[in-house]
Amino acid sequence: MKIDIPKLKKIVGEDNVRDNIADLYVYASDASVHSSLPDVVVRPSSTKEVQEIMRYANKNRIPVVARGAGSGMSGQTVPLNGGIILDIKLMDKIIEISPQDVLCKVEPGVINDELNSILEPHGFFFPPTPSSGRICTIGGMIGTNASGNRSVKYGATRDAILGMKVVLANGDLVTLGSNTKVDSSGYQLARLIVGSEGTLGIVVEATLKIVPLPKYRAMGVANFATLEDAGKMISETIASGVTPSMLELMDKVAITAVNNAQNLGLPDVAAIVIFECNGMVKEAVDYEINQIKEISKKNHGTGVKITDDPDEMTRIYNGRKKLFPSLSKYGEGLYTTALADDMAVPMSKIADTVQKIHEIAKKNNVVMSAYGHCGAGLIHTKILMNTTKKAQWQGAKRAVKEVYDYVHSIGGTTSGEHGIGFSKGPSFKEEKKDSLEMMKAIKKAIDPNNILNPNKLMDSPDDWLTATPLRYQVSA
Amino acid sequence: MAAKTKAKSTGKHLKQYEKEMNMCIRCAYCFEKCPVIKEIKWDTDGARGKVIMSYGLLTGELQPSQYIADKVFRCTFCRDCLDRCPSKVSILSIIASARAEIVDAGFASDTHKHIIDNIKKTGNIYGDTEVISQEKEGKTPLFLGCQYLGRPNKTKKYVKILEKLDIKPTIVKEICCGFPMEVLGFKEDYEKHKDNFKKHFPFKEAIALCPTCTVFLNEGHEIKAKHVLQIILEKLPKADLNMKVTYHDPCDFSRGLKIIEEPRKILEKLGVEIIEMKNNKENSRCCGGGGGILMTDQELSNDIAKKRIHEALETGVDTLVTSCPTCETTLKKAAQEISETEGKTISVRSMEDIIWKGLK
Repeated sequence: MKIDIPKLKKIVGEDNVRDNIADLYVYASDASVHSSLPDVVVRPSSTKEVQEIMRYANKNRIPVVARGAGSGMSGQTVPLNGGIILDIKLMDKIIEISPQDVLCKVEPGVINDELNSILEPHGFFFPPTPSSGRICTIGGMIGTNASGNRSVKYGATRDAILGMKVVLANGDLVTLGSNTKVDSSGYQLARLIVGSEGTLGIVVEATLKIVPLPKYRAMGVANFATLEDAGKMISETIASGVTPSMLELMDKVAITAVNNAQNLGLPDVAAIVIFECNGMVKEAVDYEINQIKEISKKNHGTGVKITDDPDEMTRIYNGRKKLFPSLSKYGEGLYTTALADDMAVPMSKIADTVQKIHEIAKKNNVVMSAYGHCGAGLIHTKILMNTTKKAQWQGAKRAVKEVYDYVHSIGGTTSGEHGIGFSKGPSFKEEKKDSLEMMKAIKKAIDPNNILNPNKLMDSPDDWLTATPLRYQVSA
Repeated sequence: MAAKTKAKSTGKHLKQYEKEMNMCIRCAYCFEKCPVIKEIKWDTDGARGKVIMSYGLLTGELQPSQYIADKVFRCTFCRDCLDRCPSKVSILSIIASARAEIVDAGFASDTHKHIIDNIKKTGNIYGDTEVISQEKEGKTPLFLGCQYLGRPNKTKKYVKILEKLDIKPTIVKEICCGFPMEVLGFKEDYEKHKDNFKKHFPFKEAIALCPTCTVFLNEGHEIKAKHVLQIILEKLPKADLNMKVTYHDPCDFSRGLKIIEEPRKILEKLGVEIIEMKNNKENSRCCGGGGGILMTDQELSNDIAKKRIHEALETGVDTLVTSCPTCETTLKKAAQEISETEGKTISVRSMEDIIWKGLK
């Protein structure tokens, strides 16, 4: 693809364009299993620069893929068709903090945890709490509708977006949404952009809802001899009327992985549920955490521990936060891959789904762990396998399909928070077959030349395994 | 542009880390406090980028080049990524091995070659042929390290402190511990250096003055080495210096040796109050002086150091104390520059200065 590098350098500055093979190689991959080279990486510092880049790209039909930390797991920022990677890390200003309006305005390159450290003295925080919060950008979170451990209480990124400014494929700048909590003024276009994975526009500014930092927090852990009991505990907790701020499940594979990598000394049981309550009134928090404790016991939970000691809570929380990468320590020769990495199911089906995941894994000769923000119906898994063996990839491909076929059959959805990219493309297209044409029509209307992160979501390839080279060396 | 068909290169230094590079899930958690990516803000230059490039060098998808050399050598070896990586990938070992591949391919910088030549010819990084002998017959082997060898006044201070505390050091005609060879990619030179080092320093246990040497004596030479501050703490009498300072934890202390409380206890004993910086102890920020970048990437080194000085200035004290000669040099330079350009002043002092003041 012929790209006018001098022109791009003129737009963003000499130091903000790289096309050396080393840079392209690094930017070819993210946290998914894929790798595909872009033609150039460009770092804009302003909305104006983004607009100029998009005008140039649109005129010349050059694909553009926006990228923050590149921590996406489904290939969102892997450029299937080459083109321009738009690295938004330089756009990292916090523009405004307005506690009286409970909002802040930020550029897309602001890092989630850094935003929260700035909001803390004001007594507020930005509520989606992705595990990757220490490095992920607000832009990336918007792209995937990220959420995390506290989604059970605070929802996902979409629930915390009030408005945004977006540069469209043709370089036009549009202002979407508003500065208000309620908005019934026409199509909710800002909410459409959230989760669109950079296929509809480049977010250059976001207006975020912030919430008061709770004054009190307490955490509990309950161990379960069966997944079924853990699942029932979760459903009953949600249905009971208490509002946990965290309700996390870890299965046996996850427990082993965390113990190996983090030395937390978690008990050797079928499932652990970590729960948290927070709020402004200690007595209310204590009441709720004790309610969950009773529900745990009612569902045969053992070793139920409750703490409000900050160090102990941090220790438990950090272990859960680092679970995903800890899975690489599960077994010799097994590597963690971000495949079938998330899904969401009805609450009453959590235990069955976890059970099914284990069965599918065994059948296909891979290891799969199940864990996640089950209070929101969200399950994470990873496929642990020998990534250098072709047969393992075939097993993984079957396992991915079977997991999502099952998820769909019980009324679940392909992704709860990580997004689709193209790793989950085939299953996503199967799930949404009724509305694919509607999605394509929207995409065509907004991006007629199909330059914004093409071949993702509803346009993703039918076979994720062969869509790009894998980032691993695979032998027969 | 489609990816090329993968073909393996020889990768003789990186091969042993192939498994770990597969284990790396490219989650970017290593970005969190990587001082290089915080300054440069290009994925390529951060810890994850270096691991990915190393993988490319191993598989042959990338070939060594000056460009890649510049990127791979852009690391301060601050160890923060090792703490952040939940998969516990040996990131720094991978980077050191990538550097070795690059050096083998002929892309070592002249500056680094000069340092290695100095070590080979004179036994120290400065190329000093006339090293003033500080040999002593005592009870406890003391390893000075190049930085203290090259600054005899600092060494004398520490030796006098030890003698005042009734610790009699044995000082021999030592040579460089070899860490620069290992970290700058001159692995074959290091292997040859090891035996020579053992001849000059034939001890199984020792005290060392330099934090980096302390780590490397343990990891590279299997010598049970303690840092001198750990010994001093045991015997130091109280004093009342009535000072207020901030303390900068050297990376090799807080993350390498896990020596975090000992310097603080020493200062406390001396009647020195510590006002902690925002990033302290195991979260201490790099001074910008390590990994070889002080010599080849001075602008980056200085930018990192200035960030640290600004953090120190936020504490409101007028003195920063540290226990590493590299940190002291790097931070002093940055402090001076900030004083000249911004009018904000903080004095940078070494632990041995403060201890000596307390013992006088």
